Amino acid sequence: MKQIPDHSPDRFERRWLAESIRLLEAGRGPLADADAVRASRRAGGEFEDRVLVRALVLGEREGLLDALRDWRGFERLGLLIVALLALLSGFGMALGVLGDGTRPVNVVWALGGLLGLHLFGLLIWLIGMSLGGRDAGGLLGKGWQWLARRLARSASSILLGRARTDFLASAGLNRWALAAVTHLVWLLALLGAFVGMVLLFMLRGYQFTWETTILSGDFFAGLVAGLGWLPGMLGLEVPDVQTVQASGVGIVASEDARRAWAQWLLGCVLVYGVVPRGLLWAGCQTWFRRKRAALTLDLGLPGYLVLSDRLMPASERIGVTDPDHSASARGSSRQTHLPGVGAPTIVGIELRPERAWPPAIASGVIDGGRVDDRLQRKDALARLAAMPPARLLLACDARLSPDRGSLGLIGEMSACAADCRIWLVDGAAPDNARLGHWMEGLAGLGFEPGQIISGEEQALKWLAHGDE
Amino acid sequence: MAMSDKMPSAVRIALVGHTNTGKTSLMRTLTRDGRFGEVSSRPSTTRHVEGARLIADNEALVELYDTPGMEDPVALLEQIDALVDAARQSGESLDGPASIARFLELPEAEGRFEQEAKVLRQMLASDAGLFVVDARDPVLAKHRDELALLGRCARPLLPILNFVRDPEANEPAWRDALARLGLHAVIRFDTVAPERDGERVLYGKLATLLDAYRPAFEKLIASREREALARRGAGVHLIAEMLIDVAACRLRVEADASELASAIEGVNQRVRSREQACVDALLSLYRFGRDDVETGLLPLIEGRWEDDLFNPETLRTMGVKLGGGAAAGAAAGLGLDLMVGGLSLGVATAIGALAGGGWQTLRHYGDRLRGKLAGHQELTVDDAILRLLALRALDLLSALEARGHAAMTPFKQAAEASADWREGLLPPSIASARAHPEWSGLFGTMALEPEREAVVGALATELGKLGAAGA
Repeated sequence: MKQIPDHSPDRFERRWLAESIRLLEAGRGPLADADAVRASRRAGGEFEDRVLVRALVLGEREGLLDALRDWRGFERLGLLIVALLALLSGFGMALGVLGDGTRPVNVVWALGGLLGLHLFGLLIWLIGMSLGGRDAGGLLGKGWQWLARRLARSASSILLGRARTDFLASAGLNRWALAAVTHLVWLLALLGAFVGMVLLFMLRGYQFTWETTILSGDFFAGLVAGLGWLPGMLGLEVPDVQTVQASGVGIVASEDARRAWAQWLLGCVLVYGVVPRGLLWAGCQTWFRRKRAALTLDLGLPGYLVLSDRLMPASERIGVTDPDHSASARGSSRQTHLPGVGAPTIVGIELRPERAWPPAIASGVIDGGRVDDRLQRKDALARLAAMPPARLLLACDARLSPDRGSLGLIGEMSACAADCRIWLVDGAAPDNARLGHWMEGLAGLGFEPGQIISGEEQALKWLAHGDE
Repeated sequence: MAMSDKMPSAVRIALVGHTNTGKTSLMRTLTRDGRFGEVSSRPSTTRHVEGARLIADNEALVELYDTPGMEDPVALLEQIDALVDAARQSGESLDGPASIARFLELPEAEGRFEQEAKVLRQMLASDAGLFVVDARDPVLAKHRDELALLGRCARPLLPILNFVRDPEANEPAWRDALARLGLHAVIRFDTVAPERDGERVLYGKLATLLDAYRPAFEKLIASREREALARRGAGVHLIAEMLIDVAACRLRVEADASELASAIEGVNQRVRSREQACVDALLSLYRFGRDDVETGLLPLIEGRWEDDLFNPETLRTMGVKLGGGAAAGAAAGLGLDLMVGGLSLGVATAIGALAGGGWQTLRHYGDRLRGKLAGHQELTVDDAILRLLALRALDLLSALEARGHAAMTPFKQAAEASADWREGLLPPSIASARAHPEWSGLFGTMALEPEREAVVGALATELGKLGAAGA
């Protein structure tokens, strides 16, 4: 097998490669794969293993393996760009929501700005997933795919991209891949926002407030306490009721109150933003990886089935175990004929039982009988040898295959007569391929074509009167 | 190869019989190796012993040995009888295998009886023999002597009646003769075109004869059946692909007559070559090479259909009624789906298509509306042609499954099962393909969307049910 270069593709990538080769062959017709098939058969294993080896060898030759490595690079590059954008936009979001510190920060409004879009997107994703929609992968994931596609412009890359999408979609995995990317992007954006907030809180002084027209202060106290309960469990500070009430009335200058508000905001972003997205990302990623590793080729597809005979033959040849030594041993031994003077004789050799015997022979012609088994052969030969006939007619079934045994018998019998002809019974039947084989076999015994007769009337006439 | 070293215990079967009865053909059929040995109508084509292993699931289960034909059993049996008599006179009693072994030491085993000696030697080295009979031959003394010789090898022998479907076959005579020799388990198996479950019966009988190897034969049966099923699934998938390709095809043309005619011919040509591509794919799926002996038995000429797809006569012989479009004068088989006709598909179809295809369908209808305003017409392939394509392909598939024998009675097998395709409603997948011109690969640019794959899959399932009912 050809050497597999470093960064050799993993199992999924090899299957992906096989799918690409299948698509390529579906469009372009079968590739010349003699060496690939050889390599695959040498590698052995299950049918899928063999398909993968073949695809690897072909993929290397067709440049798909290189394209696959490029694709891996493009994917990483695309992810990197998206990740950077996410971090930056998260940071920008923090900046936008908190402002430059000249105006007090409306805490509820700020929290909504930081988490609202994320929670809305999450809700949409959850609804999409629970409805089982194909497109529920998340917009951000699609953006990343689009970017990777933009980067990969060569024909091979496009083929690989299509093969990958189709392959993953066949197991419903595409949406998990897209979901994982979407969650990752959100995770990075929220982390960016979190880091941005920490930096801003460190370097700028913010005042916190909340506003309402119709709601009561108690409502906000409850809201803050409720939202802060979970971050509070993690040890983060939560503004107490007095602070909340006071922040609603005017600016609270106390340092404790400011710190409590800042920590409450950070805690909320962490617990309701970063953590769920992180968990979902890890979950989707794990699920996707596990499912992807278990994803096997659909070997029932015509593109693979046509390979099964060559990659995994139903049989293998053992070869010749007992070779032929006879250098065409069937010698053509021209017989020496006895000077026969006896009455003309007819003998039926290996005729069908349903054939009536003897035929309408003239008087004076001896019926030598049917000859089939060992005893009949012996008897007939003995009788012929005792009184060799002047003319001997041997009736043979032209529909049988002439074999060495029958030809040998004919040879022995014809030697016992001064003149011998062969009557090929049913030899006139159309498209009888065996007639030609008889001619050849009899020629080997020294019979001329003229000594072989296929018409009954003609045969019997010769027997009664000889050549006239 | 390496496999053989690990599997010393594969059951060995010798294929024996008179000369020119089809032993090598049987070998080819069982090994799925169309290039094994040499096959011709000439007697004594095979003059050596050649073996092959049957493999299932990576395991070599059975070894088959093709042997030369027996040609002079009468003289050979006489010689061996003489050996036995001579031994008896010197006070030694030779049983069957011993007498054969004694013969194999004689110089005649290397000379006059070389071919027969090879058969007997292989028989002694095997666990069982398959005695291949050309059922068209009468039962003659030489055949009986052959069976007597093989009987002396003391190995189970399973007679296989080849060419039983030939009108000249003497099946009862052979069964009677074999029964008289104590061979009651006899099977019919056409070596070139075996019946659908021929192999299963063959291996089943062998499993009964060789009980110790039953698991191996059962494994082989299971594996071959799985393979047949998978192959069939792939076959209907290929047919479904073709039908979707053709059904989805939609071509916009200018309304003037000459342009229309050339466009119709263009589409016809594409449909023809699409069908040919499907035929080629089916042939290669079922391992038929264009030059194979068996391919001659298919309802094709040199790998092509005899009758042109767009000949109205072809439709008539297949029992497909001409649809509206074709009857309206487009004898070429292309229905003229005018813009109005397209919209009159009805609200239900449009809504169904929308549900399945999303905004692309909307765009599609929008395009068509624009086309109408610009005075264009649209060509689609008529239903009748689709029906014909489906019927012919299904018919070929069943012929291929039976490795040719169905071809003797073309279009008969599919007859009962495919009434739906002849005149019933076409499956819904065809209707959805009609609404998606981008799914058609007829003009080279096809969108391989998951929806298209789903529709192809659904159609394949539908076709699969049909074919199974015809089986």
